[in-house]
Amino acid sequence: MPKSMQLEVITPSKLFYKGEVELVIVRTLTGDEGFMAGHTWAVKLLDAGELWFQEAGSKDFRVTAIAGGYIDVKDNIIIFTDAAEWPEDIDVERAQREKEKAENWLKNPSDDDSEIARAKIAILKSLTRMRVKEGGHRRKR
Amino acid sequence: MAASNMRDIKRRIKSVNGMEHITNAMKLVSAAKLRKAKSTFERTRKYFHFVTESIEEIFNNTSEVPVCYLKGNREIKKTCFIIMTSARGLCGSFNSNVIKKAAEQIAECKEKPYITAVGLKGKEYFMKRGYDIKGEYMLPPETISFIETQEISKPIIDMYNSEQIDEVVMIYTTFVNSMEQAVKSVTLLPFEIDKDPDLPKLEKMVDYEPSVDDVFNYLVPKYVEIMVYGAIVESATCEHAARRMAMESATDNAREMIEELNLFYNRTRQAAITNEISEIVGGADALK
Repeated sequence: MPKSMQLEVITPSKLFYKGEVELVIVRTLTGDEGFMAGHTWAVKLLDAGELWFQEAGSKDFRVTAIAGGYIDVKDNIIIFTDAAEWPEDIDVERAQREKEKAENWLKNPSDDDSEIARAKIAILKSLTRMRVKEGGHRRKR
Repeated sequence: MAASNMRDIKRRIKSVNGMEHITNAMKLVSAAKLRKAKSTFERTRKYFHFVTESIEEIFNNTSEVPVCYLKGNREIKKTCFIIMTSARGLCGSFNSNVIKKAAEQIAECKEKPYITAVGLKGKEYFMKRGYDIKGEYMLPPETISFIETQEISKPIIDMYNSEQIDEVVMIYTTFVNSMEQAVKSVTLLPFEIDKDPDLPKLEKMVDYEPSVDDVFNYLVPKYVEIMVYGAIVESATCEHAARRMAMESATDNAREMIEELNLFYNRTRQAAITNEISEIVGGADALK
């Protein structure tokens, strides 16, 4: 059995998750990355995407949707994110609606660059939500 | 004459009684809201320090950090004030305390500052006096989510980055306890930080990805966002505490007034009766 470490997922309003885990997989700005106990110390920025982790002693992965943030890898792992959701808390219809709204912005683009960027982030977030609800893109391993 | 006087007093007792009911109900509502706001506030406060710690850690462990967010990188000309007041009144001196402090600080500025108003009361005050209101948030603050606060803080960070403003100061009320709140002003940007020699160097190399600059430039705005969020939550807690106190003293005053009026009413009534008896006795004496 691999060594375990402590994972804390923190959002501005609460401690979202705290527990012993063996493996954490996050989407950094440069791609998906997995961390196990004893990893080099690192601070990496995260993109909006799925967060996977395997609790100590468990075979299955738990998946959550997170909205960007950063991961602080020391002897323990701290993930700080703007928002995090368990699959059971995700409202698919709302995500769908938000995605459509953002797509409409893109179809009628204004001159404002930041609005396009925001629409893209909104689409990414709702896509993540929908995928997490279905069990994530890594459904079967 | 005495009868109409008595009717007047009775009417006043009735209206004060009605007022007492309302203030008492508001007190109970505020107490319930305060309890809820306080639990949110306490939850958020616990995780605040993580971001500041990360910033300090990077600062203390790497030699080259980008200077644009740090104190002393450019002259401070234009200041943006974030002023947190309440959306509703009837909360004692809560709003006037914040506004007084803000007005003091604004008077010290050389250039006319920008104002970002959270809460209606502050906005009204500064709009009347002809300040530029750059941003506002008017909904009741106790239900605000972090994503919503980003809409307040994002434009401020953008303005700072494009050098429209050189300083961001936030004025809000801090929660000491349910009886006591204090107005506080915090400079959010530029970020003031010193190399702290006491802080032990990390024993291992830390990988920053994509780069130290990127991480640092991500963390500092995040720090601003989190501070703004925390201040709004705290200020909402204070608002309810202040309102509860104000309503409590209003209820007490109303009760005192009712007591006095009752006493006065009884005296007037007794005087009228005495008057009548003395008239009767006088009449009977005259007949003898």
